[in-house]
Amino acid sequence: MSKQESDADDRAENRNQDTNGYEDIQNGHRESGSAGSERARATGEALVEINELTKTYDPDGAHVVAVEDLDLDIGDNEFVTVLGPSGCGKSTVMECIAGYLEPTEGEVLINGDPVAGPDPSRGVVFQSNRLFPWKTIGQNARFGPQMRNDVDDERIQQLLDDTGLTGFEDSYPHELSGGMQQRAELVRLLANDPEVMLMDEPFSGLDAMTKELMQEMLLDIWEEEDRTVLFITHDVAEAIFLADRVVVMTARPGQIKDVIDVDIDRPRDSSVLTSEAFNEYQERASDLIHDEAERAMEQKQQETQEA
Amino acid sequence: MDGARWAKRGVSIASIVVVWFVAASIGPSTLPGPVAVASAFVGYLGEPVYWNAVVLSSLRVLGSFTLAAVIGIPLGLLIGWNVVFGDFTFPALELLRPVPPIAWIPFGILVLPSVAISLGVIGFEVSATVIFITFLGAFFPILLNAIEGVRGIDEEYSRAAHSLGAADWQTFRHVIYPGALPSVHTGMVVGMGLAWVNLVAAEMISGGGLGFMTWSAYTGGSYPVIFVGMITIGILGYVSSTIVRYIGASQLPWMEGSTV
Amino acid sequence: MSTRDHVLGIDRRRLLGREVPLPPRGVRWAMSVAAFFTFWWAAVEFGFLGFGRFVGPVDTLIAIYGYLAGEPVAGGNQSIYIHAAYSTFRVVAGVGLAALTAIPLGLLIGLSTKAGTGIEWNNYLYPGLESLRPIPPVAWVPASILLFPIVPVLGFSINTAVLFVVFIGAFFPILVNTVEGVRNLDDEFRRAAQSLGADSGQVFRHVIFPAALPSILTGVSLGIGLGWITVVAAEIIAGNYGLGYITFQAYRLLQTDVIAVGMVVIGVLGYASSAIVQRVADYATPWSDIETS
Repeated sequence: MSKQESDADDRAENRNQDTNGYEDIQNGHRESGSAGSERARATGEALVEINELTKTYDPDGAHVVAVEDLDLDIGDNEFVTVLGPSGCGKSTVMECIAGYLEPTEGEVLINGDPVAGPDPSRGVVFQSNRLFPWKTIGQNARFGPQMRNDVDDERIQQLLDDTGLTGFEDSYPHELSGGMQQRAELVRLLANDPEVMLMDEPFSGLDAMTKELMQEMLLDIWEEEDRTVLFITHDVAEAIFLADRVVVMTARPGQIKDVIDVDIDRPRDSSVLTSEAFNEYQERASDLIHDEAERAMEQKQQETQEA
Repeated sequence: MDGARWAKRGVSIASIVVVWFVAASIGPSTLPGPVAVASAFVGYLGEPVYWNAVVLSSLRVLGSFTLAAVIGIPLGLLIGWNVVFGDFTFPALELLRPVPPIAWIPFGILVLPSVAISLGVIGFEVSATVIFITFLGAFFPILLNAIEGVRGIDEEYSRAAHSLGAADWQTFRHVIYPGALPSVHTGMVVGMGLAWVNLVAAEMISGGGLGFMTWSAYTGGSYPVIFVGMITIGILGYVSSTIVRYIGASQLPWMEGSTV
Repeated sequence: MSTRDHVLGIDRRRLLGREVPLPPRGVRWAMSVAAFFTFWWAAVEFGFLGFGRFVGPVDTLIAIYGYLAGEPVAGGNQSIYIHAAYSTFRVVAGVGLAALTAIPLGLLIGLSTKAGTGIEWNNYLYPGLESLRPIPPVAWVPASILLFPIVPVLGFSINTAVLFVVFIGAFFPILVNTVEGVRNLDDEFRRAAQSLGADSGQVFRHVIFPAALPSILTGVSLGIGLGWITVVAAEIIAGNYGLGYITFQAYRLLQTDVIAVGMVVIGVLGYASSAIVQRVADYATPWSDIETS
């Protein structure tokens, strides 16, 4: 009894701290003294700065505001997950960082410079596997370095070894299982040595067990490689398990609803998933996301009716 | 923006006419220019000979294509659905398929009969050869696509239907037939195109219709009429393909991207 | 062969209402082919329709044997090999020319559709070309005899009119399939390559071209099929050599065995060329199953 009460208190306290953290971010300067920055992993300067990002689409005259007035900083070596219902503009944010889309308003800065188109320093893993089907796993893995004639075979071999893909270099992607394809895409990304890794629901097509293994592998790689990751997902547990910080988004127009600092020790493995702390985070995130998911579903239904 | 795009497309089509005009002015004297062809066209629009040819060719295509669909679709569905039936029939059909329909023309003239029919003003000679060649052109694409359509249906749909209590023929009616329809439709679009290709060849060789009109314009030295024939055939071919597409799309409202 | 076939085979047997012992597949196929030849033989033997004027399967086989040994065909002094060579050359050259022009044009049109910037080749070129597409290639025969001469090259007479008609027949399937191949590529592949550091030339070489290749090869395969159809028609109407020509010449001379032999040889060559294209396609695009024919 008393334990539950104290848990509830902790939760309430957490929420306050995080709300503070969120406001700080919105104001654009996160102070080192605030509770939100007490994370397991030290983060450096803001590497990615998103300032008042708005993105609208006008397909067939319908005016859709995908993202509205969004502010977000991502620190160097930070692992940030973006959690939101489907169609909330998560991918739009990522596409603006990747340089595929130009913001309608606002700006995206990398190391203080505005994004101008796609760049190898910002690698992307797509939701539907985008290994080139006409290239073997080996050819896919060395694609990035090959483009600038700078292939480091040892490094690529190391990555293939680490991900258990040795021996499949000459296979075509369609000959591999979904999990292996996803690992191969990760290898292709890492072989290119990007500063920022942008991952758009990369594991959403995998079965639960494969997904868990992939998450662990991703964390292992991240711990070793020190990279900045923006990871988009609609899976609450995945968002918390991976992240230093979970950014919860609203239904369209996409805005930040809340930011949760995940204070779970690293390195993490699947045992974390059953811990008390994890459950609390999960409950909180689920509460936040539930209403938004409902709103997103209503929006979708309305659009279908109109069309 | 949209207006500009249409203007560009107009430029594109107009430039074909311009290229033609230039080619006719500087090229061989036998090549008639667009103006000569246009005036020949206008003249022909008042000629019963022209309309006779138009009606005859159209009826031949319509008849042959309908025949090809009526035979090809059920046969294809059956071959695709029933492996044993397919084993007994398909190899024989496969023997015939690689021979282009046009190569059947001498055979057709020798073996198939020709019947003269008179309908008041317009007299027809129903040449079974031309019908047969045109039929062959449309038949194999329709047949093959019907077979592929059935074979491409995921087995689990049939299982689902069976589990929901459908009998064999009900599965055929509600799963196999509609499931194969998109592919059948593709076959019919391709078949319509090939029907015209083979019709024109058959008519040039064994007489009647627009194909013969075009060919005899060449042998008779009235060169602009060659192009009148080509343009008319092109328009009729385009219209018939569009009709097939339209009918197909209207039968497949559940297909993504079908717009009627 | 597969379980599915097996299951269906059993099902259909039950559908007949009683258990019928069935011969194995190979035998069923053989029976089908045998039935075809029997019908042919019977139709000729009993004079069904005008079949009495046609040649039966046995005489056809004997004739094939004779002509393959080099007998001159259809009143001329050339063997069937010369005529087959003429037709094959015309198909290969016509389709080759079509591929050389239609593939670059198709890539240009497809790319400009995707890019949305630069010169809009898709709007300038495609509608004009499309307006010519509904005219069946065979309908070009009179116009092309009118305009294209017979050119003697190294002792052979090249009938450029026939070549042009084959070219037209193969051009549009290749063009349309190339354009579609480029247009159907998901944008994310291009994005993925750009994010890995590929410049636009590299994106074309490593992404767009290989992605469109299966579709391009499908177009070439269709083009060869139409090439055989048009070459036979053009040779019948306007040829002086070739398999179409001898088939029709044989009809004029009432040598029905040559008609049948001509059809068989045309069929075999048509079949062989689509098999070759299939093999080339399998080799060139090991990652994909391409539908040809």
